[in-house]
Amino acid sequence: MKKHLLKILALSLVGTLAFAATGPDTYVQMTYGEVDSLDPAQAYDTASGAVLENIYETLYTYKGESITEYEPVLATSYKISDDGKTYTYKLRHDVLFHSGNRMTCRDVEYSIKRLLVTNPGDSAGWFFAESLIGYDGVNAKDYFGDKITQADKDKYWAAIDNSVKCLDDYTVQFHLIKKDPSFFVKMMYTAGSVLDSKYAIANGEWSGTKKDWFSWAGKDLRSGFLHNHDAGTGAYQLVKWDGKDVYAKRFIGYWDFAHKAQMENIIIKVVDEQATRIQALKAGDADRITVNDRATLETQIRGMANAKVLESDKWLGAGARAVFFNQKIAAKDNKLIGSGKLDGKGIPADFFKDVNVRKAFAYSFNQDAIIKDLYLGKAVPLTMALPPSFLGYDPNIPIYNLDPDKAEAFFKKAYGGKLWDTGFSMTIVYNTGNTIRKAVAEILKENIEALNPKFKISVKAMPWPQFLAAYKNGQLPALVLGWGADYADPDNFIYVFYHSNGYYAKKIGYSNPQMDKLIEEARSITDPKKRAALYSKIGYLAHDDVPVLPLPRPTGWMVLAKNVYTKGAPAGMDVYNNPMRSGSFLWKDIIKK
Amino acid sequence: MLNYIIRRSLQIPMVLFVLSLIIVGLMQLLTPQQRAAAFVKSDKQIEHLDQIIKKYHLDEGFLVQYELWAREVLRGNLGFSRISKEPVTTTIRKRLPASMELALSAFIPIVLVGVWLGTIAATHRDGILDQALRVVAIIGWSLPTFVMAIWLVAWVYGGLGWFGIGRLPNSMLIDLATGHFHRYTGMYTLDGLLNGRWDVFFQALKRLVLPATALVIVVSAGIMRVMRSSMLDELGKDYVRTARAKGLMQKAVIYKHAWRNALIPVITMAGPMLGRMIGGIVVIELIFNFPGLGEWAAKAALQLDMTTLLAFVMLIGLIMASANLLVDIAYVIVDPRIRYE
Repeated sequence: MKKHLLKILALSLVGTLAFAATGPDTYVQMTYGEVDSLDPAQAYDTASGAVLENIYETLYTYKGESITEYEPVLATSYKISDDGKTYTYKLRHDVLFHSGNRMTCRDVEYSIKRLLVTNPGDSAGWFFAESLIGYDGVNAKDYFGDKITQADKDKYWAAIDNSVKCLDDYTVQFHLIKKDPSFFVKMMYTAGSVLDSKYAIANGEWSGTKKDWFSWAGKDLRSGFLHNHDAGTGAYQLVKWDGKDVYAKRFIGYWDFAHKAQMENIIIKVVDEQATRIQALKAGDADRITVNDRATLETQIRGMANAKVLESDKWLGAGARAVFFNQKIAAKDNKLIGSGKLDGKGIPADFFKDVNVRKAFAYSFNQDAIIKDLYLGKAVPLTMALPPSFLGYDPNIPIYNLDPDKAEAFFKKAYGGKLWDTGFSMTIVYNTGNTIRKAVAEILKENIEALNPKFKISVKAMPWPQFLAAYKNGQLPALVLGWGADYADPDNFIYVFYHSNGYYAKKIGYSNPQMDKLIEEARSITDPKKRAALYSKIGYLAHDDVPVLPLPRPTGWMVLAKNVYTKGAPAGMDVYNNPMRSGSFLWKDIIKK
Repeated sequence: MLNYIIRRSLQIPMVLFVLSLIIVGLMQLLTPQQRAAAFVKSDKQIEHLDQIIKKYHLDEGFLVQYELWAREVLRGNLGFSRISKEPVTTTIRKRLPASMELALSAFIPIVLVGVWLGTIAATHRDGILDQALRVVAIIGWSLPTFVMAIWLVAWVYGGLGWFGIGRLPNSMLIDLATGHFHRYTGMYTLDGLLNGRWDVFFQALKRLVLPATALVIVVSAGIMRVMRSSMLDELGKDYVRTARAKGLMQKAVIYKHAWRNALIPVITMAGPMLGRMIGGIVVIELIFNFPGLGEWAAKAALQLDMTTLLAFVMLIGLIMASANLLVDIAYVIVDPRIRYE
């Protein structure tokens, strides 16, 4: 008897079903990125975005795979005034929040005002604030600091109060401080989601009035109610987020009856160990997993019986990476530039100010080697620091690739020939574990040192904190930096990389008045054709000027269980993949066959 | 005895105080910028470094930092964990039961297997069985835990589709998240029984098998070696010879006399081992996707999350001190000659 019991226990423990699937109405994704916050006004990372885009909704959104075509969600139509400064949206009448409250214009007004009031430094609030109230996109507390007066406060609040108005219960109007052709797409970012104002206020969030607005300015929303509660209208509602895994279920009151989601339950599991994710996919416990690198993809996933690898040359994501040439290196206590002079034992702080040096470096860089070694051949070189799917990307602009003769010619021209005679010595640094930064540094070292024995580049690894401090202090002579799109407008990249006031360009001291003029013109007009032409011009100018050297972009992939598809997939593909969606596709479009 | 327990218990706050001083002090060895760097996750956020330093008082001195932390702790607020994005106490309430469940389910078999095999090895000294067990022990001893764990995940779970990873199957997790399931202890096996949910009990137990097996294989070798040598020690002593001379049967000599005394070194070893296991078995937690304290603390250490680290160290300090106390009490039970004044 005892033995029998043991046998039964052992058998039930092992499980009779060898390969348990996740179930026809449950979708399980395993990844390593942890959600940072589920408050739309705080979240500014892909892991959070991938959840938020399903439990909250914006007025308009991207259509299918496109980033230049849009479709209405919580709005039904919109109108831009002739001066380009007023945006009027008509809202749907039939939208329910997960609480059961009905959505009206007050909710839209509350959501955007809350974003502008709180605008914590590490959120996406800055680009909404830039368009709607100015103040450099910074919240009132950080903008004014300790010296803030009552008059400052009143003025700042008035700016917020004027930026969004309800004309009636279902018409909302936004007033921009100046013309901004990207405002419409900015509103599609998850931070532009519409929150259930009644529910939020009832649970201790900002009251929506002038009374307590200032106490919410710059607040870290991770300690608030909406950080881990859902006040959205999305097709899915949050069941639980335990700081790690996310559980959501289909919302039965969802307004879009025609678009009924097939999945009843969604689970996003954080499984840090890649080997475990792969085994879970194999065992049928996961429908989609994150695979970090192409080598694993090729050796372990391809050919797995119940899994599929989807990829496309068009899946280049919405990001760009480039080598930056620092034109104003901080010289104080900086060992990376040696003597700090052009004497063969170092480099001067403005070493990269000479365009010939930048070009010589660009012609010493082997794009093919990066593509072949780092990405196993699956990458596309970029002509400019802009994702190829974006408006204005010009594929005809020439690409810098290894050309020792040209590199030598430019080095000989640099500093009136002095550089070639005296030589130089510098250190390129990468943060430990960053394979791209390391590869770029090593390629430059190898090719440049081969040109002239007096050219010396050392490559050094630094732990992340030290690397960051060195970057922050402007000590790095050359480095690789990346930018991911916040919204699908070329200005989001072009301004950052090339405008003298842009986030990165400013940091490396790049300034070209002609470039600034073109960028400002492109951000002030709305006609896409004219803008595209301007961005192409900018691309050519950036090629001549090489403030930064764009790096090749690897093509993306997705690893799914064999039976997973999405609605709206393009012909010949199993799923659609929109680079502006953190999760590539929406949960409501998932189907299992 | 009671006196002794009270006295020992009073030492615990002192231990915790010193531990907290050490952690805050160690953090001071890094520059404010280096500490702030741990908050920065993407190239875009680098510019926020100064704001971060200001916001979290990273540029303040040792005393100010310690005071800021201590004042909150005395108010019962252990702080907010950047790693789990929730208050530290909430995380501990969720993760400590998971760690305890895993630790206990591995600890009991580890001790049983270790003691059993150690006894066999000692009583068959230098025989084939002893030699064979020695080889097994060396293999177990030298096998890295992660190798064993990955092998079990790949072969038993991925290959055969047995047992599963995580704490419960996905479908059940949704069920529990939406339905009525009272969490009495936070340990799914126990809560399953208390709620009368046999399915939960079985599923939770099923998912403990692989991680516990990995631990038993790797850890019990140590216990076995200690048990063997301590048993041999005892078997060589006079009272054993006397017992044998009286004509006692081998079984009685071993289990009635020598065994209990031989257990003392095993208890000395097992107490802190249990403490450490509750503190988290990082590799096992990571590979079997078992969200316990270890994984949380390891991430906190990598990202220099001082609030989380302090809370974790306090908790482990408490657990280890309690484990040592329990060991001392266990001595008395095993060996009545031991008295605490």
